[in-house]
Amino acid sequence: MIVLNRIAIGISAWLALITTAHVALNVDWKVVRNERLPLDQRKLNVAYIPVT
Amino acid sequence: MFQGFPEIKEALMANRMQAGFMVAPMAIALRAQGVPLKIVYLGHRYGSAVVVQKEGPVRSFADLRGKTVAIPSRYSDERLILFRAMARHGIDPREIRLVEMAPPDVAGALAAGAIDAFSMGEPYPSQAEMSGFGRVLFHAREYWPDYISCVLVVRQDVIDTRPEAVQVLVDGIARSGLWLDNPPKKRARREHAADFVGRDYFRQDPKLLRWALTNPLDRVLYQPLTPYRDDFELIVALMIETGILERFIPFSDYVDPRFAEGAKQQTEWKYEPGWEMAE
Repeated sequence: MIVLNRIAIGISAWLALITTAHVALNVDWKVVRNERLPLDQRKLNVAYIPVT
Repeated sequence: MFQGFPEIKEALMANRMQAGFMVAPMAIALRAQGVPLKIVYLGHRYGSAVVVQKEGPVRSFADLRGKTVAIPSRYSDERLILFRAMARHGIDPREIRLVEMAPPDVAGALAAGAIDAFSMGEPYPSQAEMSGFGRVLFHAREYWPDYISCVLVVRQDVIDTRPEAVQVLVDGIARSGLWLDNPPKKRARREHAADFVGRDYFRQDPKLLRWALTNPLDRVLYQPLTPYRDDFELIVALMIETGILERFIPFSDYVDPRFAEGAKQQTEWKYEPGWEMAE
């Protein structure tokens, strides 16, 4: 039972760590915040490719 | 940032992007197909070139007969410039094989010998030159005065519901163009722009952009960026002639000139290298 508990705690800690790292590194919070604003206040998303 | 124009087209159509820079013929073709967007401004003038292998057999345009040339899209001015050159040299379009390729891939393909030449916007001609394996056969201006390539398109629903936001966007581009093309400060400003655009936006070596923006200083121009009727009617005529547009489409169907008009009173950004913010 103790082993099972340790495995469960380990998996939970790993998931929490990975989730935190993903949210911190991969989520663009500026985009998330922008998309939650009313339409008339949102910044426009402008697409470009790296050419002059 | 995207890697090709077709992806930008899809993102605009899906409303993931509300505006975008794309090659002018693609924007016109999308309007001809009924896609609700309009050209509101230009991204730049000139800045495209045909590049061949530095030590290769192609020494003149006529040497491209039987060769393979990469273009960014069927619907690009870089393809149309080749047709203009072919017409001037009396070359049948069937004598040159055109292949579509994402712009970031062309310099590598030329170096590897997968293609014989490419017709592309900067900084890819500069990349081939700087790396030592490419040579500019000709710049677009040699066959097409006032050449334009990338244009700013905006979804029609955004133009209808948020014209003030579109005007802010166009004003910002106008001010950037004036700032970059200010004659006495042109070189220093372009070098500075190459640094921060390369680092923060294009994720390219700033030296490459510096080459593209200053070698020579008129390699790419950022004025005038107003979409003029004559320039676009020439593009439409070439599109029809080269089989990528079925019929004439009126200027007012694909260009909304209000925002360029609105930006005419703009002045350059108040900003110098080292300042924290532009005003």
